[in-house]
Amino acid sequence: MGVTNVSVSIGRRRLGPALALLAALAWLPGARADDALPQRWVSAGGSISEWVVALGGEDRLVGVDTTSLHPASLQELPSIGYQRQLAAEGILALRPDLLLGSEEMGPPPVLEQLRAAGVRLETLSAQADLATLEDNLTRLGALLGEPQRARQALAAFRSRLEAQEAWIAQAQRSQEAPGVLLLLGHPGGSAMAAGPDTAAAWLIERAGGRNLTTHSGYKALSSEALLALDPDVVIFTDRRLLEADEARQALLRQNPALASTRAAREGRLVALDPTLLVGGLGPRVPEGLAALSAAFYPASSPLPAETTPAR
Amino acid sequence: MTPALRPRSLFIALGLLLALALWGSLALGPVSLPLGETLQAALRLLGLPLGGSELNQAQLIVGQIRMPRTLLGLAVGAVLALCGVAMQGLFRNPLADPGLIGVSSGAALGAAIAIVGGAAFGGIPEAIAPYLLSLCAFVGGLAVTALVYRLGRRDGLTSVVTMLLAGIALNALAFACIGLFTYLADDATLRTLTFWNLGSLNGASYARLWPLLLVAFAVALWLPRRARALNALLLGESEARHLGFEVERLKRELVFCTALGVGAAVAAAGMIGFIGLVVPHLVRLLVGPDHRVLLPASMLAGASLLLLADLAARLVLAPAELPIGIVTALIGAPFFLYLLIRGR
Repeated sequence: MGVTNVSVSIGRRRLGPALALLAALAWLPGARADDALPQRWVSAGGSISEWVVALGGEDRLVGVDTTSLHPASLQELPSIGYQRQLAAEGILALRPDLLLGSEEMGPPPVLEQLRAAGVRLETLSAQADLATLEDNLTRLGALLGEPQRARQALAAFRSRLEAQEAWIAQAQRSQEAPGVLLLLGHPGGSAMAAGPDTAAAWLIERAGGRNLTTHSGYKALSSEALLALDPDVVIFTDRRLLEADEARQALLRQNPALASTRAAREGRLVALDPTLLVGGLGPRVPEGLAALSAAFYPASSPLPAETTPAR
Repeated sequence: MTPALRPRSLFIALGLLLALALWGSLALGPVSLPLGETLQAALRLLGLPLGGSELNQAQLIVGQIRMPRTLLGLAVGAVLALCGVAMQGLFRNPLADPGLIGVSSGAALGAAIAIVGGAAFGGIPEAIAPYLLSLCAFVGGLAVTALVYRLGRRDGLTSVVTMLLAGIALNALAFACIGLFTYLADDATLRTLTFWNLGSLNGASYARLWPLLLVAFAVALWLPRRARALNALLLGESEARHLGFEVERLKRELVFCTALGVGAAVAAAGMIGFIGLVVPHLVRLLVGPDHRVLLPASMLAGASLLLLADLAARLVLAPAELPIGIVTALIGAPFFLYLLIRGR
């Protein structure tokens, strides 16, 4: 109030602007409460960016890393490069309040520089499991000021996975779990098979398949090893997103041994979007799982999309 | 062969180039700062009590991000070019580069062990974890070089030819081991390893800078003092010996300086190719082979070119960044070819 008195004494002509200024000052505390939520976000993780968009925060993103490919609109945003090789000044040029990323984000000296420059850093785990997802969504919801929406998204994700599980249990009564091999394709090179410690293995198991490999990470398999494993289903990834048939032919040309596996004989080569395998569980995972399950158990009628609660 | 330039004009030109590179490195970046603010921030860093809180951001960017990066580029560029001259003098071959005696492959092997092994075993004490990579790279470079030198020695004499061949063999061996670690690596460590091999000045900080600055300082003081001996060595080993130079000691010093300098540079910034090979070549084309000029001129040129390459690396893809090794090779290789073709 003391301030008001001082402004009034400034004189009649200045009174208008002075009052306007006062009014603006009076609004500041209220405005600040909204500003407490970070407004300009940079996301350094594919599935994290996807969740931000799914929770309605796309307009806050001012930059994303090279793994943020979905939805396609994110590719229009400035790219901050690869998540493990971030550049402090480049990110600061985007004037972010918040940098989101997984534990793989780095290098550490750059993160320190960003922190020193007043950028808030939030590390969400890229682990592929539901407990991690719950934690991540809760934190994203709080950061967006939309805790309710985050809870709903998590519940929907959960119930879709549960419906999927029930469907698989049903399907397994009439058909044994198929042995599955996931091959990470590199056009022209030999395909790498996913080991049991990968996100790919998580997807396979969740979709009701048995992952056949025992090595760690992604390793090239010899033709003989491929024949010995004799998978019922082979999942292959193709970044060029060719027509599935064309991609299948290309895969068989590159790995002739594959043609004599049961999977190829019975025509069970399934295409998968490789971006599902990177950076933890994204919002597109339930859909991907449903597609895989349908391919694993062709005799059972696939789970109709309607029965899965959309949101 | 008549040099194209007098040494004095070359030094003036290189001095201007370095000043330009320093200015660019401090004043330009993805965050565009007005020149005035950059200057004020720089003055404040020097201790002048300039007011204004809007300078804080500028001071942070210039002082904590661009300055350490510039110092790192300066030291790495200078050391790589100097050691390149030392190696070309030692092997009396303009195609020699520091990689020849195993420093680079040794450092790369050390880095591979640190990156892949560190991820596999975990449990590394917090205190050394951030330095593990640099430490392993440095030790690896030194160890392989020591082995190459040891294999080149017989009866108190160092055979440069044997060293060359031992270097080739140990490089192959080191790369085989790196291949093994690459095979064992998971996706994340593999990407780290790949990027490390492309080099970067990104994330430079004072705390990690000073060991390199010390080594760079020592190498920059030491090698130019051996200019006359290197000149004599150009005539051949026995000629140099007859001229009164201690050739065995000189060889030892050159190898040690290179191992130390390149080892420290690679440990701080990863593998940065072409500076050690192209810069001495370039300077030799400009002023001739006199090491009294060649050494300091290469040092200036190496530092300038690396800073300019880094400027390109951080501006071209901003806000992302290009590994600097890509830039130096992309610019260095075609330029080298141009010089070769023009010189014929």
